[in-house]
Amino acid sequence: MAPKKKEEPKPAPAAPKPPEPERPKTPEFDPASVTLEFTPDQIEDFKDAFQLFDRTPTNEMKITYAQCGDLIRALGQNPTNAEIMHVLGKPTAEDMQSKMLDFDQFLPMHQHICKAKDRGTFEDFVEGLRVFDKEGNGTVMGAELRHVLATLGEKMKEDEVEQLMQNQEDANGCINYEAFVKYIMAS
Amino acid sequence: MGCGMRKSEPKLKKCDRVSISVPAATAIRAALLIQRWYRQYVARLEMRRRCTWNIFQSIEYAGQQDQIKLYSFFGHLMDHFTPACSERNLISHIFRENEICRDIEWERYFCYKSVEVADSYSGPHLTFPMTFCGVSKLVEAFKHKQQLHARYVLQLLGETWRLLRILPNINHVSTCHTKEITICGDLHGHLEDLLLIFYKNGLPSLEKPYVFNGDYVDRGKNSLEILLILFGFLLLYPNDILLNRGNHEDHIVNLRYGFTKEVLGKYRVHGKKILKLLQKIFSWLPLATVIDQKVLVVHGGISDTTDLDVISRVDRHRYVSALRPPKRSLTVNGDKNQTINEEVFGQMEGRRRVCSLTYQSPVQKFNIPQRRSLHNLPISSQLNWTVEEELKRRRRQAGFNQSYGEPKKSDSDSDPESGEPTETDENEWKQIVDVLWSDPMPQNGCMPNEVRGGGCYWGPDVTQEVLEKHNLQLLIRSHECKQEGYEFCHDRRVLTIFSASNYYDLGSNRGAYIRMGPDLVPHFVQYQASRTGIELSLRQSVGHTERSALRSLRQQLFAHKSDLISAFQEYDSENTGLISQSQWASATEKVLNLGLPWRVLRPQLVSSMKDGMVDYHKWIQELSITEPKLEISDTSILETMYKNHSNLETIFRIIDTDHSGLISLEEFRQTWKLLSSHLKMDISDKAITDLAHSIDFNKDGSIDINEFMEAFRLVDLSAHTE
Repeated sequence: MAPKKKEEPKPAPAAPKPPEPERPKTPEFDPASVTLEFTPDQIEDFKDAFQLFDRTPTNEMKITYAQCGDLIRALGQNPTNAEIMHVLGKPTAEDMQSKMLDFDQFLPMHQHICKAKDRGTFEDFVEGLRVFDKEGNGTVMGAELRHVLATLGEKMKEDEVEQLMQNQEDANGCINYEAFVKYIMAS
Repeated sequence: MGCGMRKSEPKLKKCDRVSISVPAATAIRAALLIQRWYRQYVARLEMRRRCTWNIFQSIEYAGQQDQIKLYSFFGHLMDHFTPACSERNLISHIFRENEICRDIEWERYFCYKSVEVADSYSGPHLTFPMTFCGVSKLVEAFKHKQQLHARYVLQLLGETWRLLRILPNINHVSTCHTKEITICGDLHGHLEDLLLIFYKNGLPSLEKPYVFNGDYVDRGKNSLEILLILFGFLLLYPNDILLNRGNHEDHIVNLRYGFTKEVLGKYRVHGKKILKLLQKIFSWLPLATVIDQKVLVVHGGISDTTDLDVISRVDRHRYVSALRPPKRSLTVNGDKNQTINEEVFGQMEGRRRVCSLTYQSPVQKFNIPQRRSLHNLPISSQLNWTVEEELKRRRRQAGFNQSYGEPKKSDSDSDPESGEPTETDENEWKQIVDVLWSDPMPQNGCMPNEVRGGGCYWGPDVTQEVLEKHNLQLLIRSHECKQEGYEFCHDRRVLTIFSASNYYDLGSNRGAYIRMGPDLVPHFVQYQASRTGIELSLRQSVGHTERSALRSLRQQLFAHKSDLISAFQEYDSENTGLISQSQWASATEKVLNLGLPWRVLRPQLVSSMKDGMVDYHKWIQELSITEPKLEISDTSILETMYKNHSNLETIFRIIDTDHSGLISLEEFRQTWKLLSSHLKMDISDKAITDLAHSIDFNKDGSIDINEFMEAFRLVDLSAHTE
């Protein structure tokens, strides 16, 4: 009598559902469980960068939740937005703007992201783009790429897409993606 | 990835525009990957942009602080003794208000009628009263880089002065007659931005009122043209053009930041008169504008003591400069033996601190007569000087005679400033300085704005309080450069608007202006004046501005090279020539005091690393900057001069009372003595005299200021390698 096991629940339920994924729930992020493996020199570097994002006039060494993702990325990682939200403890939109974190709270979050396995190398990145290379000639259609980036995954906004693709397309609207990847990674 | 994936599937099926022949899961994975990389790319650029911004801002604010410190010092000297005749003239120039004159006599002095216009003059001719035709002619002329004849300048300014004197301290304007009002922020002499605004938004008119929120002058090259255009419109539409005063509408600030120089350069014969008239005009500019009783527009901001009722009642024209607080008499209440052992300069890492012009921090416990907020003595806590001793020492250094304790007779002047200063004066002055110099901060509270040296930092709670007290809903201010030209803070109750694009350098930021209708909802228009007409990509503009900032930074480093080497050597007891990154960063910050993220900047500043250590001698050499063109044997004096060249220039311009551009050797000596006293340096008379002689390039007994400053310009050899 077991109902057919479905991955997703029936659509349009009567009562609002809690937004829980059906697969095993990812445990909440526990900063205390993270062992820090950074060298003192690295920590000094992070501190400097942290201070750069600190906008308190008295140098309190605090940044907002919203800046945490930017800082982690600026330091060389490339987590997804979901991963960032995870280490922040799934804050609300309001929390993102108003809650602050200090350097000691930041370190375990950063460490956790650094340890993530699926980092993505240059090759992965190129592979990701090659997926859209229909003719196998090293180029992708700019229009297709724009569409994908704006509608799939962790969607980008139109102006973000524009910024990314600025001056990348040739006269036919094609992008040589290896060059594109090199360009992105070079800055 | 949970719900997200499922949501996008139906979308995928819906779009037919671009058929994606790739399996959904692969496409999504690829998209995620690219998006992650994109976000990292943007974050890295943002980091670089912030660094660059920090560099420019630190250097800019450090300059402002420097100037305030210099003036504190002069004020202190003035207050504490009566120097002998010749030296007195020197300093009293700074603080001399005006000669004994009434307005009617000033009018005669400023009269344009005696100024003849030659037939060869090809610029615009103005007639008064001002007409629309006249102002448009003016705008066109400036667009074509023409210059208005001094006669018309004086006439226009004279009319402006007369008009401003009848305007209230706080302008009130309503949107009901005109549908929409336009609000612009700092322009700083960027004529191209003003013209761009007029182009996009239309010229001011009865149907198109404008509010300009101060800082029209300094830094850009067309400050005077901007003023003339704005005043022209003001004369034409006095109820529909509202001009607020900014902290740069201040003749002392102008000495340092370029406006004085601009005017004197453009008007060699009448420049001095024009500057004097402008000084009066600036002091008569209104302090604030209120729109529909609900929106307050001021240049800087507010503080926890801001009270619009007080502000509306002050005699605003008495407060000519933020750097000249109301004169006070000397009341040494038996404090002669008080010891001052609080360190004025705080220990906070990474930021220079100077007493704010207005804010008495409760932490400081000075026992000198407390009514002077500006002139707290910067005295090291290690030395237990008494007030007396310190004063004696400084006076000796400056070469002044000893006279102490005489109550200063107030200089009589046309303005009713004589007599004993009162509590009210100081309170009023604080109100004004706070409104012109303050900056918002994210945390609650109110504290002295020690980065700028004037006004406060105020928090969201203060915004709430002050807005509620006056029944307002929004505060619009300027004063700080913002990358997008505008920025909200304090829960969208404070809005910064900045209208000078490319303020730090080409590509550094956009400018913006606000359009606001009766609903009082601000709408923004952004722009960026472009000389080349080519749109730089984000990365290109970040790169360009970054290079410019690094150049400025390298010059600062070079100017301090002796101090840097000493600081490095403290870490290098065994003289290996190498120090660690951390040591390099600490030492550099200690010397330069700019609060910059040196470790983040290191890869771009230091290329000579050996096994993770910095070879500092090599590094200093690599800064690739040539010495100034002056040939002076004493290189340490030279370095001091270069480090303080802005201060030097300021002092020169003060001394050069006839604005001839020349000062005598004797005046130069006095300047140098003053400066070295301020810097607490000991320089022998002989050294100064030698210095003066070697600078007198054509040996005629006088020094040309411009020539002198030009000789100081360092050339960055690495610049040509871009």
